[in-house]
Amino acid sequence: MAAEQARGRSRPPPRLGEGGEGGVGGRWIREYLPAVLVFALAMAAWEALVWALHIQFYLLPAPHVIVEALYEHYPLIVEAALFTFQEALGGFAVGCGLGVVAAAMASRWPAASEIVLPYAIATSAVPVIALAPLAIVWFGVDQGSKIAIVALMTFFPTFISTLRGLLSPSPSSLELMRSYAATNTQIFLKLRLPATLPYMFTAFKVCTTLSMIGAIVSEYFGGRAASLGVYIKSQASLFHTREAWAAIVVACSLGIAFYLAMALLERLVVPWHVSFRRS
Amino acid sequence: MSFAVEVDGVSKLYGSGQGLVRALVDASLRIAPGEFISLIGPSGCGKSTLLRLIADLASPSRGTIRVNGKSPREARLAREFGMVFQSPVLYEWRTVLRNVLLPLEVMGVPAAEARDKARAMLNLVGLSAFENHHPWQLSGGMQQRVAIARALVFHPPLLMMDEPFGALDELTRERLNNELLNLWQEQEKSTVLFVTHSIQEAVFLSSHVVVMSPRPGRIERIVDIDLPRPRTAEMRSQPRFFELVSAVRQALREDGSEEAAHGG
Repeated sequence: MAAEQARGRSRPPPRLGEGGEGGVGGRWIREYLPAVLVFALAMAAWEALVWALHIQFYLLPAPHVIVEALYEHYPLIVEAALFTFQEALGGFAVGCGLGVVAAAMASRWPAASEIVLPYAIATSAVPVIALAPLAIVWFGVDQGSKIAIVALMTFFPTFISTLRGLLSPSPSSLELMRSYAATNTQIFLKLRLPATLPYMFTAFKVCTTLSMIGAIVSEYFGGRAASLGVYIKSQASLFHTREAWAAIVVACSLGIAFYLAMALLERLVVPWHVSFRRS
Repeated sequence: MSFAVEVDGVSKLYGSGQGLVRALVDASLRIAPGEFISLIGPSGCGKSTLLRLIADLASPSRGTIRVNGKSPREARLAREFGMVFQSPVLYEWRTVLRNVLLPLEVMGVPAAEARDKARAMLNLVGLSAFENHHPWQLSGGMQQRVAIARALVFHPPLLMMDEPFGALDELTRERLNNELLNLWQEQEKSTVLFVTHSIQEAVFLSSHVVVMSPRPGRIERIVDIDLPRPRTAEMRSQPRFFELVSAVRQALREDGSEEAAHGG
């Protein structure tokens, strides 16, 4: 068997620039430098265009103007952002949590899932814009109604993706469990659940940005002044474009941070997944 | 007299009316404990179907099957089967060691004892150095070795293998044939049911080769293999080996079906 080479027998010899601390830094530079450069170039182009075409700042403020506005209104915008993020996080937890539980039940009792599926689809087909005012009537103008909307938005992607993962194990891998006389609980914990983790995280990542959008949009229909949706809407209607843009930038950054945190968690929980394998 | 496996007048039909498929018709077979039996035949001859019926992965339309005197279901619940499939079916989120641990975990073997057993088994298949690797880091032959280690780690009285080396190249297959026989001899000789479509493999491994033919799937003939044990790689080039290979090939042809004549 010595003749048979293992693909992973030993770690590949370190490539140039990969050994030691400096080498790791080198890899980071190679991986992230292009992204940083593209960002810097885009910002420069934006500045240049606004300046060259004499675009009025209330139509499209230049990046440095947005940064100035952010600096001026920093405390209020951050407070609003954290408030909105709480709603997004709460709704995310409720929606994704229910989605995973519902998927687990649907995989266990397929007959029941046939009955429930149309309603699950309906939750995603309902336009949030139409439901947000009603949610305020049901759950109050405070965070409750926003959490409900975000939960509604994140439920279906999580449900459908997790269910698909739970049903993904091959017939042979199920037959293997059957040959061990494994219980349904063991099959779920040792086979279906690990198999669905990558599917679950795909849904979770989509839901991070979705939950920020859901929270902000539902705030448009009323809420606390110090919340991103209300702030952006009121500043924009006053033609305070700079402030509105500053808040949008913060909303965007929070969404990205939420996404990256989830991507990091994914790497920790499913490090074995094919997308993380380095040859 | 108790047999390891008794198959009595077993048929398996799928569908009905025009779409009726007679996957296996009136099959009878008795296997003594400790024998190594190969099922061979062209596709559609019911060899995998027969294996699946014995393994309680499907139930017969007619006839009875006894495994160590029990029904297949009782034998499965008593954890008497080790299964190896054509693909290794390793769980990719588990390391090599934890894949071998899987049946022991399911069966509730205490963790420390289970780990000792799994390590000993990995040692037997020569993969001790890879216990912390993930399956995708191994070659196909090594993955199949892990699957064999996993099947044998709880010492099942009956080992069932469904074309386990079918996807491997000829050289790797021959080497794994030798290793499998060595393992089997060390494992106080459990009974092995081995599905294959390689005549050489069947002759080299088995005490009896069950030749099957398609449409409808049925048992055509049983060829006894009288090569002495332990078998060695040199036997593959001995005259008796070639005679037996010819005998099996002849039996495959005699069933008169096109597929067997071309495919065997």
